[in-house]
Amino acid sequence: MKIFLILLGILALILILMYNSLIGKKNQVDNIFAGVDAVLKKRFDLIPNLVASVERYMEHEKSTLAQVTELRAQGMKPDLSDEQKIALDAALTSALRSINVAMEAYPDLVANENVMHLQRSLNEVEEQISAARRAYNQAVTDLNNAIEMFPTSLMAGWMKLSRRAVFEITATERQNVNVQELFSR
Amino acid sequence: MTSVSELSDFYYKELYPSLSSLEKTRKDIASRLRLYGGTGIVAFLLIAVWIGKNVGLGHPLMFVVIIAFTALSGFVYRHMTTGYAKDFKERIITPLIGAIDPNLLYSPHFMISRYLFERSDLFKHSIDRYSGNDYVQGSIDGVPLEFSDIHAEYQTRDSKGRTQWHTLFRGLFLVSEFNKHFNAKTLVLPDQAEKTFGTLIGGWLQSVNMSRDDLIRLDDPEFEQHFVVYGNDPIEARYILTHSMMKRIIEFQKKLSHPLYVSFVNNHIHIAIDTGKDLFEPVIFTSLLEYSQAMEYVTMLRNTIGLVEELKLNEKLWSKV
Repeated sequence: MKIFLILLGILALILILMYNSLIGKKNQVDNIFAGVDAVLKKRFDLIPNLVASVERYMEHEKSTLAQVTELRAQGMKPDLSDEQKIALDAALTSALRSINVAMEAYPDLVANENVMHLQRSLNEVEEQISAARRAYNQAVTDLNNAIEMFPTSLMAGWMKLSRRAVFEITATERQNVNVQELFSR
Repeated sequence: MTSVSELSDFYYKELYPSLSSLEKTRKDIASRLRLYGGTGIVAFLLIAVWIGKNVGLGHPLMFVVIIAFTALSGFVYRHMTTGYAKDFKERIITPLIGAIDPNLLYSPHFMISRYLFERSDLFKHSIDRYSGNDYVQGSIDGVPLEFSDIHAEYQTRDSKGRTQWHTLFRGLFLVSEFNKHFNAKTLVLPDQAEKTFGTLIGGWLQSVNMSRDDLIRLDDPEFEQHFVVYGNDPIEARYILTHSMMKRIIEFQKKLSHPLYVSFVNNHIHIAIDTGKDLFEPVIFTSLLEYSQAMEYVTMLRNTIGLVEELKLNEKLWSKV
């Protein structure tokens, strides 16, 4: 009887530890996503300024600028799911990158102190976003591992926890810079 | 900044007059030290034989003699080399540092403040004795930096009440401004647990380390092999430790044969290289003109000051001014 009670106690302890570690991992993901959200907002705040200061110069990139404004408007909507935010972020990042590259072709822009400061701020925010994405991916991987691995998988099933999506690293981000291509443009 | 080959030219050409006169002093000291050493050993053996014959080698007197000889030889060595070491620093190290960058200031007797060393939070133990020398301060490409030799020790008492000194850190300590703003604290420490116990148990030991902040696992397997990272903000830790920054730290560690500790606190980067010895000190029994010895002085200085370029702390890509 005594042994049975001890075993029961140990089992209860293991279950509690498993439960708490899963909750901890889930909260860590939510917590870091709040951080991701904060830096994404920071970028949204910079975009109107950037668009306003460059659109006079960048005649040929009107459509990209419009696209950036549109994506920002979508991103500002209040009831977006995490997955939607992740998808919007990817689209916005690649659109901003193409603007960044195109800016090099306008000497007036490069000479403009104000625009350059904006671009530096945007670079900094991009770097923060990239850091936040990496932190989020690590937290999600930890959670997903726990959800799929035995024995926490049983507990996760009962707690109705589901796998989360990670930020994909876009193809352009992964590509190495092709210097020759840069010069032959 | 001057390259290593230019510096070695400078060492042999510009410093040649100082080198040859110092080399004469060095030879003189070395031969006298050999003479005293030889005499000392003979005297010691004679006394030991006498004690062995009369009272036996296990007698407490023998210990007294050993201690007395050790103390005496230490005293003689220090007494004879102090003037030479001072000359060496004034006439060789000072101009070398000036040649690397004229904006740098060198003070042989000064050290990095204890406050900065403790702020780095790299070494958890309390410090009972703190000393150092060879302090260099200045800026490289507009990036302020300072470094010096540091010896930090702590004290323990055994059951008999005897005090013992233990070295917490001995080596080079460098503080420089970092080119990004941050509020959190991030520590990069040598990965001992995973090397000793393997990934599974070592990783678990790291994650339950109570004296540190949260364990932060980074997405660079090679970096994870060499280092363990603790911090109180997982996002800021990755903001500082970008993929390229991790690569640069790995490259730097590969060049060193000593453990490397890095911390990011209060918008500054703190780097500790645990060499286990006092750097920039002249060696008595090796010629100053010998290439490998000369290169040791030159490369050590050049690489330390070159860290700003190596880690690209001078890159002003950010809005930080």
